[in-house]
Order: sequence, then structure tokens, then C-alpha cells
Amino acid sequence: MLKLTGIHTYYGNIEALKGINLEVKKGEIIALLGSNGAGKTTTLASISGLVPPKRGEIVFDGESIINQSPESIVSKGLIQVPEGRHIFPDLTVLENLKMGAYLRRDKKGIADDLEYVMSLFPILAKRSTQSGGTLSGGEQQMLAISRALMGRPRMLLLDEPSLGLAPLIIRNIFDIIRQINLEQGTTILLVEQNANLALRVAHRAYILTTGSITLSGVADDLLADEGVRKAYLGG
Amino acid sequence: MPRDFTTGINWGREFKSSFAAALWMCLLTCPMVAFKINAAENTIDYRWNYLIYVAAGTFILSGVWRFMLARRDYIRQSKAEAEFEGPAPDAPRGPAKTWVDVVMSSKYRNQGIGVGLLVLASLPLWASPYTINILITALIYISLGLGLNIVVGVSGLLNLGYVAFYAIGAYTYALLNHYFGLGFWVCLPLGALASTLMGLMLGFPVLRLRGDYLAIVTLGFGEIVRLVLVNMGDITMGPRGISNISPPSLFGLDLNKVVKPVLLEWVPTMSPNLDLNKAFLFFIMMAVVIITIVVVFRLENSRLGRAWLAMREDEIACQAMGIDRTRAKLTAFALGATWAGLAGVVFAAQVTFINPTSFTFMQSVMILSIVVLGGMGSIPGVIIGALVLILLPEYLRAFSDYRMLIFGALMVLMMVFRPGGLIQSVRETYVYKPLEGGAGGEAKK
Repeated sequence: MLKLTGIHTYYGNIEALKGINLEVKKGEIIALLGSNGAGKTTTLASISGLVPPKRGEIVFDGESIINQSPESIVSKGLIQVPEGRHIFPDLTVLENLKMGAYLRRDKKGIADDLEYVMSLFPILAKRSTQSGGTLSGGEQQMLAISRALMGRPRMLLLDEPSLGLAPLIIRNIFDIIRQINLEQGTTILLVEQNANLALRVAHRAYILTTGSITLSGVADDLLADEGVRKAYLGG
Repeated sequence: MPRDFTTGINWGREFKSSFAAALWMCLLTCPMVAFKINAAENTIDYRWNYLIYVAAGTFILSGVWRFMLARRDYIRQSKAEAEFEGPAPDAPRGPAKTWVDVVMSSKYRNQGIGVGLLVLASLPLWASPYTINILITALIYISLGLGLNIVVGVSGLLNLGYVAFYAIGAYTYALLNHYFGLGFWVCLPLGALASTLMGLMLGFPVLRLRGDYLAIVTLGFGEIVRLVLVNMGDITMGPRGISNISPPSLFGLDLNKVVKPVLLEWVPTMSPNLDLNKAFLFFIMMAVVIITIVVVFRLENSRLGRAWLAMREDEIACQAMGIDRTRAKLTAFALGATWAGLAGVVFAAQVTFINPTSFTFMQSVMILSIVVLGGMGSIPGVIIGALVLILLPEYLRAFSDYRMLIFGALMVLMMVFRPGGLIQSVRETYVYKPLEGGAGGEAKK
């Protein structure tokens, strides 16, 4: 569904991605792991068009999306949940969700999806008239994911959904990520620091080290791999 | 208020602080207040009693200040508590109603607006020419404030050079009138168009800027336009300005010669000194303001308006939602500039003489103050803000020496007690109501 070949991305003169090759098949959950500064977020930004890559090819559903504007990439159903949540702080929860459906015009479908995300995260229904900035971190992450779902994504790019959250809430959010994948058939590319948790949810995983992919494989194999255990799972 | 907020106040400490403030103020003002040099007799008069007045005044003001702060904190805290607990299940949801909501949702709203408009429309029949003139100015500033509100209030792009678009509108009319003899009605759309195009031109280079950097570039833009007007003397007449700009025409009718004698005969309350061209301009400006209000209101609640809001709130998230940031920014600049252009044309017709000193940075500050004082993003707020800031100085000419002092104090007080402006913007809120059968629904509130 999504295929990256030889992606090179630069911030000024600094080469952040040194030729990334990556493939995501329809209906998969793929984890992208790596330490700080490995280029995980840059990979997502390259895909979503926020930081256009200098060289390489990105194909989404048989169509090249390289050098396309972020909005046209979103309109193809490739939607990103940015790192650090980035909800609209002064808009209410409901307005945040409606903003997620900005590019859609089917009122009925939007109402259905609103119902669906409210059933995924019932707390959002309770908070619907509160402004987004007053939510707790976990609630904000739920809102960010729900807002992306309101765009009816065919593929979801999740950037560090566990960032700064309590373990219980992280577990809840990961359960729902899996649920979205199962129920809606949404393909998910998941960037995570918490390798242990990500590998348990994902089907396959790629491991990034300083801008290149050093390891990839089926998630369960990686979980069992001695090298991976030592480097990313704390022994 | 159920609980009394005065219970939490430490009276001893507050008393001491106010006392200290009074002493400090005495020390600061001592050289100016207590000693008066009598130049004629070469002696110094000591006026210690003045110092006592200063101390007493400072003490009381400081007390009032502290009281207001305590009250504000109390109100904030109880609001925060209420928000934390979440709304009670049977309580009406959504933000609390302000008095504007109460007025706007009242049964008599349409009648009220109608009566207000009638009173305004009848003004030229009984008010003084002076009143009409400053009301035109106030209406111009309402229009400017509403235009800038699109850029600053709704889209969150701080524009300190807004007066440039006003100047472009005014000069478009003045120059076309001076060189080609074009009339007001042709130039009104042309002035708006010229400003819009300049808005786009400014929009392109600042696409990637925001916050302080954007403010500096727009500030520079405002100065560049003014300096060009000053220095392109061959065309713009430089600082001498352009005079004899024609007033708006009504089907080629000379209002003062034909209509005025008839009106004076029939309406005894009308001032014989009234220039009917001004009265006509007053009606034109009223129409412009009404159109502005309607258009701005529709814009704010449109798709484009939501894109502007998203851009103000968070640019990264705005892009992640698939909103075209470039388009949102350019349209905000261009549409904001349009209203300044319209207002500029009317201004040129009002004063019939313009030169670059009418379009200094202070004007930009004034318009920005209207938006901030009135309430960012709030249409009634901007209207009230413009009326307060334009009419009060006119009617309080006696205090004109202290105008800037009062202005500054007012701004500080506003930022402390009503940071959202006189009338905070309340957007339409939606309440989520799940329906049976899963066919989701929401009700507009």
C-alpha cells in the first residue's frame, strides 16, 4: 500500500534520512522503532509531505506522492497524528473532531464517524464542549487519534502515541489502535520509543539507526531476537 | 457568588503593601510635586500637603487594585473548579452566556436593531455637523477594526502595518480622482481591489513567518508604503498631499444646492451648517459597515473561517488536517486588506485632502488597539472597541493632555482584568447528542 524507496531527507545540510526503504501492506500494523534522533519522525514527515525528501520515491496505492503538498496527501487518505498531539487548544473537543473532517463533505458519513470515535473513546463525548487545552495528556492523545480518524484514513501515521502518558493509559490507547486496525481495516504505521509495547501490537517492524534501516522483520521474531532485546528492550 | 471571596485575604499584608506603595509613590513624585521653583522671586515653594494627597490617593488606588485582583483570582478559581468537575448532567452545556448573547437572543432583537438603525439614519436631520463627522470616522474605524480582526483575531497573524492598506485605498481614490477625474463610485471597488492585491503581495513573502517575525515584516511594510508616498513626489505630491478630492456624487445631483433648501424648510431641527455631502457619506459608510459585518460573520462560520481558526491554533495540526495553509494565509491577508481599502476610499472622500501623515504607524497601533480592546475575533467587541477609542477622545477633549496616559492605563487594566477584550468572542458551540440507532447527531446550540 505504501512503499518508500531510497528516501533521502535533509534539514538544511544535515542528512537526516540516508536512503530509507520501507514497505507497508494493506491492513498491516507496522512499527518503526529506534532511539532518539534515529529519524523516525522525519520518516513520517517525509511521507506526509511536511518535510519533503530530496531524493527517492514514495508510492501510495500505486501513485507517487513525492513532492505533493501535505493537503493533497491527506486527501488521498494518508493521515498523520503528529508527535506531541498538536490538538487545537482553544477549540472545543467537538470542534477539534470536526476539523479532522475538514476535507470531507458527506454530512452523514461525518456524523457516523463522530459516533464511532465517541464509542471508541467515551470520555470524549463527556468532554465534548470543553476546550481541547483543558484535557489531560491521555485525553488529548485520544482526541488527536480520533481527530485523524474523522478524516476516514485509509492509512494512519501515528507518531509516538505513548509520549508522556501513564502506563495504564498507554495500554488503553494501544488496545484501541489494534481495535481500529481490526474493525476498520485501517493500515497503521506506528512510530514508537516504547519498543516492547509496539512490537506486541505490530505485525512487522523496522528498526532505524541514525538515518538508515538496520533491521526489519516479523514483530514476534524481533521480540525474541537477542540483539534487539539488548539494544531496545532493556535486556 | 455563594462563598465570600474576602475570607482568603490577609488584611495585614495587603495593608502593608498598599502603605509601601504609597510611600514609594511619594518618594518618586516628591521632586515634581513637593517643590515648586518660583522663578520670579528666585525662591522654592514647598508644598508638602500635596504629598499627602498623593499618598492617600495611591493608598486607596492600591487597595482597590488589590481588591480587584483578589476578586478576579477568586472568580477564575471557581470557574476552573467547575470546569474540572465537568458540567453537571442536567446543567446546560457550553460556555456561559454573556450579556451579548442575552441581547442577541432576545425576542426583540430585530426590533431593537431596527430602532437603532433608524435613530442612526435620522442623525443628519438633528445632530450637529461635528457629530456626523466624527461618527463617519468611528464607522471607518469599525470597518478597519473588522478587517484587521480577520487577520489578527481570527487567523492569529499579527499585522502591524495594516494602515498601509488603508493608505493604498485612500491614495487609489485620490490619485485616480486627481489625474483622471474618476468618481467615488468607480474608485470604491478599485481601491478595495488595489488593497486586496497589495495584501496578496505582502502575503507571499511572509508565508513562512509567524509571531514576532511576521510582526516586524508587516511593520516594515507599513513604513515602506508611507515612505514611498512621501518620496514619490512626482506622482503623489509627497508630503504636500492631494487636495480637492471630490465628495461622492448621487446621480450627478448637487446635494447642497438642490436638496438642502428643501430639507431645511421641512425639517426645522436640521443644522443649517450641515454639509449634505458629509451626510451622504455617513449613509454610505453605514452601508459599508453593515455589509462588512454580514460578510465577516459569514466568513467566520465558513470553511475558510475554520481553516483560519485552525491556522491560528496550531499550524502543524492544521496541515495534518489537510488544510491548505498557503491559501488560508493569503486569503486572510487579502480579505483583511479589502476592508482597509474600502475604508481608505471613504476616508479620502470624507477629508477631501490626504497626505502621508494620516497613515503613520500610530494609526496601525490604534486599529490594533481597537481589536485587542474590543475582543479578538469578536464582531460586537470590535464595534464597541472602535466606538470607545474614537468617540471618547473626541468628547473628552478637556482631558486631551492625558489621552495617551489614560490610553496606556486602560490597556494595562484590560490585559489584567479582561484579557479577552471587552466582549470576548463566543463562537457557535455544538453539543454532542448521541441518537438511538447510531445514526449520529449533533444539535446546534
